[in-house]
Amino acid sequence: MNFLLANLLSEPVGVAHYMVVGAVLFTCGIVCMATKRNALGVLMGVELVLNGANINLIAMGSPYLQGENATLGLDGQLMALFVIVLAAAEAAVLLAITLNFYNSAGSVDIDQADQLRG
Amino acid sequence: MDLQTWLPLLLGLAWLLPLASFAIVSIGGSLPQIQGHHASYRSQKIAGVVASAACGASFLLSLLAMAIWLTNHPLGAEHPGGHPGTAHAPPHYSGDFYSLASFGDLHLAIGYYIDTLTVTMFCMVTLIATCVHVYSWGYMHEELADVVDNEVATRDGKALHRPGRYHRFFQYLSLFTFSMLGVVIAGNLAMVFVFWELVGICSYFLIGFYIERPSATNAANKAFIVNRVGDFGMLIGLMTLWSSLGTLHFDQIFPQLAEPASAGGLSYPLLVVAGIGLFCGCIGKSAQFPLHTWLPDAMEGPTPVSALVHSATMVAAGVYLVGRCYPIFVPEVLLVIAVVGAITLAMAATIAITAVDIKRVLAYSTISQLGYMMLSLGLGGWVAGLFHLITHAFFKSLLFLCSGSVIHAVHTNDLREMGGLRKKMPWTAYTMLVGCLAIIGAGVPAWGIGFSGFFSKDAILEQAWSFAGANPAPVYGLLLWVPVAGAMLTALYMFRLWYLTFAGEPRNADRYAHAHESPLSMIAPLVLLATLAVSIGWVWPFSELSVTSLLEQARPAGTQETVQGEWLSSLTIPDEHLSHAPEIQVPAGWTTFSAAMGGLLLATMTYLWKWLRAEEIRQSFRPIHSFLWNQWWFDELYDWTLVKPTLWLSRFFASIDHWLIDPLVHGITHVSRLVARLLDSLLDRRAIDGSLHTLADQTWNTGLSLRQLQSGSLRQYVLFLVAGTLGLFAVASLYWKFAVAG
Amino acid sequence: MTFQSLVDNLVNDTLQVSLPLYWPEMVLCATIVLLLLARLIKGFSRVDPFLYAIVGTIAALALSAPTDGFATLDQLQRTELFTGMLVYDGVTVYLRLVLLLFAVLMVVLTKLTGLADRIEGQDFYVLLLGATLGMCIMASANHLMTIFLGVEMASVPSYVLVGILRGRRRASEAALKYAIFGAGAAGVMLYGISLLAGLLGTAHLPTLGLQLAQLDLPGMIAEGQELGTLAALVLAGLMVGVGLAFKLSAVPFHFWCPDAFEGGTAEVAGFLSVASKAAALALLVRVTLAVCAPQASPLPQTAMLSEDPTATVVTTPERSSEIPLDTPLAPVRTYVALFIGIVAAVTCTFGNLAAFGQTNIKRMLAYSTIAHAGYMMMPIAAVALLAGSSPEGAEQAVASLLIYLGVYLFMNLAAFAIIAFLRNAIGSEEIEDYGGLISSAPVVTACMVVVMASLLGIPPLAGFLGKFAAFAVLAQAGTPLTLTLLVIAGLNTVVSLVYYWRVVQTMCLRPEPATRGPLTLGLTPVVYVVLVTLPLFLLFLFPAPLTNLARDAATQLFP
Repeated sequence: MNFLLANLLSEPVGVAHYMVVGAVLFTCGIVCMATKRNALGVLMGVELVLNGANINLIAMGSPYLQGENATLGLDGQLMALFVIVLAAAEAAVLLAITLNFYNSAGSVDIDQADQLRG
Repeated sequence: MDLQTWLPLLLGLAWLLPLASFAIVSIGGSLPQIQGHHASYRSQKIAGVVASAACGASFLLSLLAMAIWLTNHPLGAEHPGGHPGTAHAPPHYSGDFYSLASFGDLHLAIGYYIDTLTVTMFCMVTLIATCVHVYSWGYMHEELADVVDNEVATRDGKALHRPGRYHRFFQYLSLFTFSMLGVVIAGNLAMVFVFWELVGICSYFLIGFYIERPSATNAANKAFIVNRVGDFGMLIGLMTLWSSLGTLHFDQIFPQLAEPASAGGLSYPLLVVAGIGLFCGCIGKSAQFPLHTWLPDAMEGPTPVSALVHSATMVAAGVYLVGRCYPIFVPEVLLVIAVVGAITLAMAATIAITAVDIKRVLAYSTISQLGYMMLSLGLGGWVAGLFHLITHAFFKSLLFLCSGSVIHAVHTNDLREMGGLRKKMPWTAYTMLVGCLAIIGAGVPAWGIGFSGFFSKDAILEQAWSFAGANPAPVYGLLLWVPVAGAMLTALYMFRLWYLTFAGEPRNADRYAHAHESPLSMIAPLVLLATLAVSIGWVWPFSELSVTSLLEQARPAGTQETVQGEWLSSLTIPDEHLSHAPEIQVPAGWTTFSAAMGGLLLATMTYLWKWLRAEEIRQSFRPIHSFLWNQWWFDELYDWTLVKPTLWLSRFFASIDHWLIDPLVHGITHVSRLVARLLDSLLDRRAIDGSLHTLADQTWNTGLSLRQLQSGSLRQYVLFLVAGTLGLFAVASLYWKFAVAG
Repeated sequence: MTFQSLVDNLVNDTLQVSLPLYWPEMVLCATIVLLLLARLIKGFSRVDPFLYAIVGTIAALALSAPTDGFATLDQLQRTELFTGMLVYDGVTVYLRLVLLLFAVLMVVLTKLTGLADRIEGQDFYVLLLGATLGMCIMASANHLMTIFLGVEMASVPSYVLVGILRGRRRASEAALKYAIFGAGAAGVMLYGISLLAGLLGTAHLPTLGLQLAQLDLPGMIAEGQELGTLAALVLAGLMVGVGLAFKLSAVPFHFWCPDAFEGGTAEVAGFLSVASKAAALALLVRVTLAVCAPQASPLPQTAMLSEDPTATVVTTPERSSEIPLDTPLAPVRTYVALFIGIVAAVTCTFGNLAAFGQTNIKRMLAYSTIAHAGYMMMPIAAVALLAGSSPEGAEQAVASLLIYLGVYLFMNLAAFAIIAFLRNAIGSEEIEDYGGLISSAPVVTACMVVVMASLLGIPPLAGFLGKFAAFAVLAQAGTPLTLTLLVIAGLNTVVSLVYYWRVVQTMCLRPEPATRGPLTLGLTPVVYVVLVTLPLFLLFLFPAPLTNLARDAATQLFP
């Protein structure tokens, strides 16, 4: 891993760099989702995850970065656009659900959501 | 008119009608019992009518069959004529009514073999059966009300009260008629055997009709068991025949026997075995020496039974079988038959002189006359023996029915309590006189007229005379003089009987006072039978029709010539026609006549004129009298040699069973139960059930513990999401690592 | 390729090819739009939304029949819709029929239970139909984008449906858990999609498969080269699998399932258990087929940025037979089969065991759903194994899965319908409160017994038919993996007797609980339940229509 990173630092910016960034975002998002107690924090984690994937997609589909390997064509960028819209819609719905939960449970602490178990 | 279809049809119908009446009566009698009460006496009376009607219808059908037969086979036309000496089978029709089963070569079928003998026997059996049925209306009258039986020993010493069972009597009589006709019509020996046994069973039922009397039930058992002893030999004979000839059908056996022994027929020793085996059955059924002890005891049954079964028909079945299977018997076997017959007739005649029970006298008389028939058949007198069978049937049944009439009147069987009854019961007395005259063979030899017994007895003695002439050795001469002596004894005891019953002074005033003539239903058969006893030996005027000519037509192949024995080369069985020669006929006739007259004279002197005193004779010949009185000690002999050892053996085996086998079985049971309990608790409960319960509990616990995985905490869920991914990735990369490395 | 010609091609493709085969979804869209806009117009708003929904779904169902008729279904050629985004073949037809029939029955059910009246009817129907639409997209996905789109479109309305009853703490909690978990899983899946697309250079599923074949994986594995690419491929595939596993409620991504089912209403739970599982399984089949047995198809005609009209991108070869597909994809097949197989085995075991101690019937049925998802994944493992060696066997495996789905529809719908009606009648969803129902509601109890027996797989009911089809395929495949799966599935069927029969036992043998009031079930609910239970008998007695349809649908999946 260190070897890989060391290589990356010495090369010009290419797909791999973007992928690393995307991976970092993805990991941050996952950690956020897994550890945050606040529901809204979890939602932020969701956004981070989706955006990490987006970066990946864009980088994969970029003809400039890929050069002759750019077989993904416009699919990469189009997919990213779709994902952005979907993320927005999903965020809206998740917020509504969080609000619903707040109305019935009185807090956004997801640890309060433990009545359903077993 | 096609005899092939009509004869079986008519005779088959005549055979089955009594079965139908049996079915009707038994079902009709059992239905009320199912409902819990016994049949009403009115319906019981109807049962009697039904049975008699069936029997009468059978008789009419038999007559019709006889008429048809005679139309198509006129008598005398197929007479072999002289002595052609060729194997000429008599006219017959045979076939199968119903094929039961086929096992390879063995075909078991219900079939028929109809020749003149069959038709004649049918007529005789059905006629006598009808007479006995009608007679029984009167005789069994007391069964139409509740019966008080004084001869039964009850617990509290009083007489037994029981409801009457009139209908059961007719039920058994019908079944018996059916069985007897089955023996007659049978087309194969297997069927003969079946109906042979059936006849024995019916005899058992009928003898033991008064089931509450121990004497009756013992007599029934004795009859059946002694018969079975004879049947054992019969089975051996049957098996021998089947194993060598491959068939039991008459129409297949007789042609095969006509072949010489070397070409496909039976070997001589096997024939001897077969013959003796078959004859063993006849010994048992016809109460020959040494299996005769059951017949006197069989008199426990009601008198109609004795008349039908034990004089005219069942006991005659043995003789009939010998006559039917005649071609199977080789001269040596015939000699055995003759010797047995001779011994029997002599023995029985001697015992009959001392008997004091009216029915016992007649029983021994029957045994003696059967001995005559066997003797005749053994000496080659086929027609003579069967002729005597037919005439005997009529006069013996007449005698029995008359005795029944007497018993019905005075309520005792003991001759010592009777006397002078002819004044009270003239019809009975004089018909019985006719019977006695018939049995002794009364007639005039010179003119050739006489009662029926005269003709048949004469024929027998003619054949005996011819035989003695053909076989000069002295021992063969015995076979002539014994029957002659027997004729004298016959006359002696028969007229002793008559005089003691109907002549002289009444010895018991009470019984004499109560005596009365029997009702019409009992007298009518007596008269009919008396008529026949007189006339059955005669030739029908203006025709050839007579019993002799009928039987002559049925003469089997092999009796038409003189035969020599093979082992006893000196043995000669003369052809029966030779006995009709005047040089034999005349002396034989006069000898018989004088013997009979001698006996008659002796009886008259002792019992009528009282010139000789019976008691004095008895005293002076006390040992002989005692010997005869105890029936030659046969019962005691059999008891000591056969019955007691058998009982001892059975007790021995019973004790083995009780002390050895039962404890062993119980022991095994206990051990098995112990083992089972042990296995149950150890294996089943602990191991199997235990493991199952453990398994079930473990699964349940696993399930319950898995529930805890769902903690309800959302963060944990997401954590599992990540952990799951990483874990699966780890597993996958491990797998690929090995795949790549390998 | 000029812009004009591009536009022409696009219009051509859309109007001539795609839209005519896309009518059911179009009708669903129209119904959704109508339902949403009806509130605005006075006349339309007074009409019961139920009517819009039922008319729309029935119309969609009618239109989902194949254009040339059912008789020629086995000759239906695979058509790519919308420039390769979606595919129209036998499986699409079958799944559309299943999903839309289910939608019809669900609309009727919600009307009968009164669920759609309590909340705003049109909201509910919009969400229901929207989810159905998303599932139809899932079932005909041919592009990585559509996969994600379909999954999201099917999931997001379901999040709302679970929590649709306002004011219930449990419902909102369930919705929250479901939503967050779902979002997380979708995110992981998207990342996997991005990796996959990047590694193989295409997002079009058939092309993806062909690219995989061209990678010469066996060579790479044998020589131990390019381990990084291999690792990335494995990870990418795995992550896509995570998203699919979430939709399928496969272990260890099932955690949402019990909570969502218990929190949501019985009708919604039924909807989730049948429709989303069916769509998810279809999607799994599509993905498996794409990577294990890709078929030749035209390259998607997306706009290329290359100005050189002659410059060609990687075109698919003329015929896929020129590249020997068998050996190159063998590692992929093994990987996919193992992955699906292991997950299936663990899923069905976990589902059955965890259902033991459940007291809430919806929760119990949630675990039962998990277990059945496990059973249904097993034929897909067989498909992956058989794709290269025996196309007929793989076809049969797909057909058996379709049969199971068809049967599963009626089983679970009937179960949840009964639960919904009983909830309305007695107000409880605890199993203990079902005691003594045999005397109070005999018909419904009888139907429940039939449903439980069918879920268990007892002949002469349709559940046996489905299980038998699936197990037969496993037995026929004969490899160690499938035989192990068969054994595990068999044992699990036996084990599942415990909790299915507990319900029957409670309903029939236990006495009525003292706290329960008198029971009144109307005639229509009972009729509905009977009508939905009846196919469980009829499908066993006359399986031919279903089996023939499934078989015809599965033909032409393999060249």
